[in-house]
Amino acid sequence: MSKTIFELVDELPTNNITVMTLRALDFVVPGEWNNTVGFVNTIREVSGEEDEDIIQQIGDRAIWLYNDKSQGYQRAMWLYETVDNADSALGAAALANKVGEKIPLLGFLNRLTPNPDKAQSIDLTLKLVVEVLAFCQINGIPGDSIGDFAAALGEEYKGDSLMRMAALICLDGLIPLGPDFLGKVQSTISNLSGGDLERNGTFRGISSLIPGNSTGGKLDFIGNALEGVTGWIGNFVGDRGLNPATIFDHLQGFVEFSDDKLDYVAAFLDMTTNYYEHTGTQTIARSIIERAVGEI
Amino acid sequence: MSSTNTIGKLSAAGLLAIWLFLSGCSSTPPSRFEQAQQASTQRGASAVVRESEQGGQFNKFFPAAEGEYKVVYSQEKKGFAQAKLKQNGKEVAVFTISDTINNPQAKDKFQQSTDKIGGYPAVSSGSKGTAVLAGLFQVKVISKDSSFTEKERESWLSKFDLSGLAALQ
Repeated sequence: MSKTIFELVDELPTNNITVMTLRALDFVVPGEWNNTVGFVNTIREVSGEEDEDIIQQIGDRAIWLYNDKSQGYQRAMWLYETVDNADSALGAAALANKVGEKIPLLGFLNRLTPNPDKAQSIDLTLKLVVEVLAFCQINGIPGDSIGDFAAALGEEYKGDSLMRMAALICLDGLIPLGPDFLGKVQSTISNLSGGDLERNGTFRGISSLIPGNSTGGKLDFIGNALEGVTGWIGNFVGDRGLNPATIFDHLQGFVEFSDDKLDYVAAFLDMTTNYYEHTGTQTIARSIIERAVGEI
Repeated sequence: MSSTNTIGKLSAAGLLAIWLFLSGCSSTPPSRFEQAQQASTQRGASAVVRESEQGGQFNKFFPAAEGEYKVVYSQEKKGFAQAKLKQNGKEVAVFTISDTINNPQAKDKFQQSTDKIGGYPAVSSGSKGTAVLAGLFQVKVISKDSSFTEKERESWLSKFDLSGLAALQ
């Protein structure tokens, strides 16, 4: 049986490679993400309530909302889980081999394969699409509403959600694809065929939830989603002066690697982190709790 | 006879020991949310009933933006709508309207209400919220910043179109 929402939130790790990586990215969105773990903790933080009876009422209602499949929260969770392809065994092995404060990347090179640019561009774009779809499921907006999503990115995204977008830009964009990642992604997607898309495992996993009657229609949606957020991403990178070198500097706090193995850092983080699932769980928990506070 | 009894007692003791051992191993005590989990996953259980109003129906009853305050709609689900009140860009409160058909217990707290806002029963809800019951619909203003006081919650509640909402069928 799948896990309950309170188990999912209670069991979020407090110190694995995902958490270390996101902490290292705090400089991108300072103070936005505090890794709130635990269902009751999240209720306290979101509601500001201390009364145990009120906390119980909020938690009970939030659980009812999550468990009602028609409300979309479970579908959003499924999307966040499905788009991450973390290899938890590798993550555990890396942590076990930590020397002092750092994980020596050298020991894992034979288990890592850097993603070719084309595959990486598709991965990044599908993660963006998942964010659009999950946002619509969580907030009750029709699933093809890229405009609402793009507006919310600027106005509403903060905390776990903003950290997820920061990590997407850094870990799936700047590090594997370089400073011109947006250009590369746009050109890949605009030249993509339906066949390319159908060969992608992540696409096959989530394709039933992507608007469009055919692969061609879904490809159009994917292209529109990317186009809808390109401006925001460009500004996000530009405003903060982000580049691969500054991100590498911050990652060196906990992973040890040499400058000729930068490709492998991206592959290592791709395989050992599940930041979409981790922060997505936090976003969904926050959303059902906010709604429960209004409904009790 | 007595030996059978002894065997019986021994095996009962053994079973008890095994049970204690196993239950000792099942690490955590049941969660305080287990009951809600069980009830909400029964066949036919739903958090939101089909008859409840669409959240989009509620939007027109929210207060309008004014001066340095902006109202930003954030969740719109069947039976529920939520907006954030921003003062110069900073979130200071959350506004919600919900259909109590989905959570009838929400109405109980209004039975002791002595206050009224716009003619409708009003109560404080938790330490950060003030709620009004307009017909079948609960309207809440929840403070997100300590500067946003109870008085302000009441003042913003009075800016909702409560009678329009109460008339919604």
